[in-house]
Amino acid sequence: MFESFFNQYGFLMVYMVLQATLALSLYLPLTAGQLSLASPGFFALGGYIAAVMSTTVWATNGMFPIPYLLLEMLLGGLASGLLAVVVGVPALRLRGIYLALATIAFVEILRVVSLNLTITGGAVGIFGIPQPFNSSLEYMWVALPLLIACVIFTARLEKSRIGRAFVAIREDELAADAMGVNPTYHKVLAFVIGAMIAGMVGAITAHFLNTWNARQGTFDASINILAFVLIGGSRMTLGPVVGGMLLTALPEILRPVGDVRLIVNGFLLTLGAVLLPQGLISPRVFKRKKVDV
Amino acid sequence: MDITVFVQNFLNGLSIGTVYAIFALGYTIVFSILGIINFSHGAIFTLGAYFTYFLIGGLNNGSGILANAGLPFGLPFVLAILVGSLMAGFCGVLIERLAFKPLRTRGADPLLALVSSLGVALVIVNLVQYLIGAEILSFPSNVFGEFVNQNPSINFNFVDPSRPIPIRTVQIIIFAVSLVILVLLAYLINRTKFGKALRAVAENPITASLLGVSVDRYIFLTFLLSGFLGGLAGTLVGTSFSISGPYFGVTYGLKGLAVIVLGGLGDIPGAVLGGLVIGLAEAFVPGDFSAYKEAVAFALLFIILLVRPQGLLGRRLIQKV
Amino acid sequence: MKPVTRKIAIAFGILAATTFVVAEKVATPIAIGVSVAQTSNTALLGREQVIGAQIAESFFNSRGGVNGTPFKLFFEDTGGDEAGAINAFQTQINKNNVVAIVGPTLSQQAFAADKIADRAKVPVLGPSNTAKGIPQIGDFIARVSSPVSIVAPNSVRAALKINPEIKKVAVFYAQNDAFSTSETGTFQETAKAQGLEITTVQRFQTTDSDFTSQVSAGLATKPELVIVSGLAADGGNLIKQLRLAGYKGLIIGGNGLNTANMFPVCQQYCDGVLIAQAYSPTAAGSLNAAFRTVYKNTYKKEPPQFTAQAFAAVQVIVEALRRVDKAAKVSGAELADVRVALNDAILAGTYNTPLGTISFDKEGEVNQKLFYVAQIKMNPDNKTGSFVYLK
Repeated sequence: MFESFFNQYGFLMVYMVLQATLALSLYLPLTAGQLSLASPGFFALGGYIAAVMSTTVWATNGMFPIPYLLLEMLLGGLASGLLAVVVGVPALRLRGIYLALATIAFVEILRVVSLNLTITGGAVGIFGIPQPFNSSLEYMWVALPLLIACVIFTARLEKSRIGRAFVAIREDELAADAMGVNPTYHKVLAFVIGAMIAGMVGAITAHFLNTWNARQGTFDASINILAFVLIGGSRMTLGPVVGGMLLTALPEILRPVGDVRLIVNGFLLTLGAVLLPQGLISPRVFKRKKVDV
Repeated sequence: MDITVFVQNFLNGLSIGTVYAIFALGYTIVFSILGIINFSHGAIFTLGAYFTYFLIGGLNNGSGILANAGLPFGLPFVLAILVGSLMAGFCGVLIERLAFKPLRTRGADPLLALVSSLGVALVIVNLVQYLIGAEILSFPSNVFGEFVNQNPSINFNFVDPSRPIPIRTVQIIIFAVSLVILVLLAYLINRTKFGKALRAVAENPITASLLGVSVDRYIFLTFLLSGFLGGLAGTLVGTSFSISGPYFGVTYGLKGLAVIVLGGLGDIPGAVLGGLVIGLAEAFVPGDFSAYKEAVAFALLFIILLVRPQGLLGRRLIQKV
Repeated sequence: MKPVTRKIAIAFGILAATTFVVAEKVATPIAIGVSVAQTSNTALLGREQVIGAQIAESFFNSRGGVNGTPFKLFFEDTGGDEAGAINAFQTQINKNNVVAIVGPTLSQQAFAADKIADRAKVPVLGPSNTAKGIPQIGDFIARVSSPVSIVAPNSVRAALKINPEIKKVAVFYAQNDAFSTSETGTFQETAKAQGLEITTVQRFQTTDSDFTSQVSAGLATKPELVIVSGLAADGGNLIKQLRLAGYKGLIIGGNGLNTANMFPVCQQYCDGVLIAQAYSPTAAGSLNAAFRTVYKNTYKKEPPQFTAQAFAAVQVIVEALRRVDKAAKVSGAELADVRVALNDAILAGTYNTPLGTISFDKEGEVNQKLFYVAQIKMNPDNKTGSFVYLK
């Protein structure tokens, strides 16, 4: 019974964890008030790096060694961070929805470029990516520690001087600047950390899906991740994690509904936004609980 | 570049650019009033085309649960496109009431409007798929009358009489209709009381309400107009290329975003300019680089935003101190 | 029972439940999974496949099912993405307890989901995956859809037969579609091998509708033959816009255009287009005739290739099941054993399907005997037409 449950939902559970981590990559810039939708671009980049490395440079016949997977995550994270600096320094001068659209433009440009390169395999993409594990569920050994590490890192960051600088910029950039917080440095920093997380998640996901192609980093993905954060709650680290897990599982939970499941899915999304304007997890919820106790 | 090819690309660009403009205007007027982006605008575009298709008496050749269904009557095309677009407009109003108004009354984060309208778009697209089906629907070739049916393309001799330039008649009609709509809209917004009130609400809703403008009523009318323009653009594109299924509006939805930001968010002439710039830029992508045509709109957007963060015609953002 | 002992008992119970795996048996009716894209923008193809599978379900069940035991198809939607395909496959394998799966729709999805089924030792039959490398995913993976490299070249030879004067070729393809990008490679190699000059290669997206810039650029090179690899909506619009821009020469459409869905898009301009087919509705054989009649009675048009391939995939599984069942009764047997035996049986057999006679090599690659080149003939109403088989 339990085994068949894990067989059926093992993939989904790991995917939920990965998507939750991806949600954090969008959440981080948002804590500094920057609405960046670039995560799928870095996610795609990390995935391509892992896919190319593991099918060419480190091609193995048997099990793919886990240290190599970790190395790919590192490479994917670093490459994404580097690209984020290049894109972020000019782009983060933009505000609000303008930044959002500039980052969507970035994702689209990256998608079209990856369709046209030979190294990325064009539209077919890269397939037969070596597997470090025997089952989907075992990916949890990498995915869960990454999520936990990112959550702890983000939570600690928020409490630090840097985190307070992020909040100061979010609340009033001019005032923060006047008080000696360097807005450009901190905005780029938040963007780069987010990008590195996305790149690492991409590297795992490429192995996890066994294939990687240009359809991984799209506008649709950008909007989905934004929904993870906003439905989950954009004011606490736990918010995007819960939102990412829940919205990833939702289409599967609704599977018994049959043909209309995506209609219901969309309806619940609207309902969630309308009924929970603070998101599922908001600081208010926690404060009220404390008063009760 | 060869002058004939140049003229041809220019006309192509104008034709598609005006459609982008009409579609983007629907986005931009909503943004100018409420400061939100309505992600379901692409779905409205799709709906407008489906409404008109069925209003002219078209049968559903899709395999949804309404397979082979159709209306018992058929309206003349001109009437159908007006009614169909108006119906799309009322869908826009419905979306406003269900997905945006509750957020507004609560003073929620404007970003949430992105998510609630995303949900609506998901519902519309999948509902169309469920009811109508994923199949392609095509308008009959005589929808613009017998003349167009007999002369699907017209040769123009602009430069070199020995090398006439063939232009699709439908493209000329769409261009003409779009121009008329743009002129009417310019009149409506700049010359009428409605337009003045609309601009007042956009400028400052609180002041406008103090001056006796019913803000709620103008929000209603804005969504009606926005939906109408979206639906109209959908029908025009549908007649030119056929309705490719429930996801018909998705690419336009994304490109429309590029158009309004390029022109300057909430700026009406900016949306028109943005539409034309992107239409022309795409038309002038050299053949060898056709692979990158899809990225042109976004590359342009990215570069222009870096140079002029407020868009081409947008007002410089004044930072509050 | 004391609370402590009860806790221990419960703990043991849970432990027992996790370690003691109940071996699943094959149910009656026998469960076969069909996981294709019923939603997303791939649903146009997925719908055609669902219809083909459903026709096969009632057709073969009314002819005795699996030696008297009925079978039942379980449909689990994959959507258009890789994760959706994996989730659907997991549901088929672990919840629906199917003996085999037909699907998924896209090759990219197959690379992801087929691996999962192969690990679980569940046979998969791809109804429409044409990219290279699919049968090599694993021992349990086979396909009824021929790889593009076999289907495409015939039509180039047919075009040269119609007009031997052809020298210059313009190639158009949908660069975001996996099938079209592999197909165009084959087309270009074939054209070069036939001594033709490729004057331009133009790329577009399956989501495009306006092709004026590609058409202008393509026709500026004065081609005598145009080859289009794309899907119904985009390919149809491209052909229409080519004709309206004054192109008079021959057009070859790839296998993605082998569907009546294209007719209402390009209308009278579809006329004369040569299409490379892996399925022809007019192909000989009593089974195809029966399949075609059932389809035409319900949908009032010729069955598309995707429908025929899905039908054939279900047919292959049913016929293989019959052979497994003859050796040892399938219904009630150990599910895991049946899956393995079924996989061997699928690869061993020869099947007389609407696609013609097919069999598989040891990797699971299909051997299809017949391919067709058809020319589109539109009816006067400009919305319907037919594929006329070229000898």
